[in-house]
Amino acid sequence: MADLLAWLEGSTLGHAMRSSGVWTYGIVNLTHILGVSSLFGAVLVLDLRLLGCWRDVPLASITRPTVPIATTGFIVAAASGICLISTNANEYVGNPFLLVKFPAIAVGLVNVAVLSRLTAWKARDTRALTAGEHRQLSVVGAVSLLSWLTAIGAGRLIGYW
Amino acid sequence: MHVRFIPVIIVAALAVATLPLSAHHGWAGNDQKEFELVGTVESGVSLAGPHATMKVRADGQVWDITLAPGARTEAAGLKEGVIPVGAQVTIHGHRNKDPKRFEIKTERVTWNGKTFNVYPDRS
Repeated sequence: MADLLAWLEGSTLGHAMRSSGVWTYGIVNLTHILGVSSLFGAVLVLDLRLLGCWRDVPLASITRPTVPIATTGFIVAAASGICLISTNANEYVGNPFLLVKFPAIAVGLVNVAVLSRLTAWKARDTRALTAGEHRQLSVVGAVSLLSWLTAIGAGRLIGYW
Repeated sequence: MHVRFIPVIIVAALAVATLPLSAHHGWAGNDQKEFELVGTVESGVSLAGPHATMKVRADGQVWDITLAPGARTEAAGLKEGVIPVGAQVTIHGHRNKDPKRFEIKTERVTWNGKTFNVYPDRS
């Protein structure tokens, strides 16, 4: 972990972040917030639907806008996040919130992989789901909400250590 | 599950999660007492990151000097490279509450008769 962070700080990206003006960090930080808020906003709506809110709205109608927004948000957040951490990467060695945040992101991503393989998810456009399938989806929705809330909570607290 | 309670629970969770955030990069993690350190510059001012920083050596100990955010530190005249490495400086601010951490949240830096007041409204 310490080696990875040291490498990141010494990388071209780290040098670029440190030598490109006093507003760079702030602007990249803003980009990170926009990515995270797009990801979480979309995920919140989708997960609440998976948990059983707004049953009268077809699942496919919710997934159509939320999935691409969440995906884009994640990519923007991840790219800007790597830039932010590379600025002073060595400062984060031993930061406990980092050790909560990244496993939580991993859980969130594994959860997405699981969801995309569920029959219930694949069949959402084509037929009504059974009660068992609704329960499956609600478990995925709950895990998703918990993992992203944990990742965002721990991420926010990194700067307080 | 009582679906209509979910949003209430989430809003409550988010509200609780924001409580400790008021301390962010503020002065709460630093001692109330004014603190002064005289030492030599170990590594010069860097304006990168959420706050500008420098390192100062005093009595064999290297201290982390946390300055104002980059733009504000620069506006106070404390640009990168202005104070050479090895120069003697006086740091005025508040030291970290944790006695094991050698960090000073800095209000002003004095070098060569010049004072860089990065937080002029606090002094």
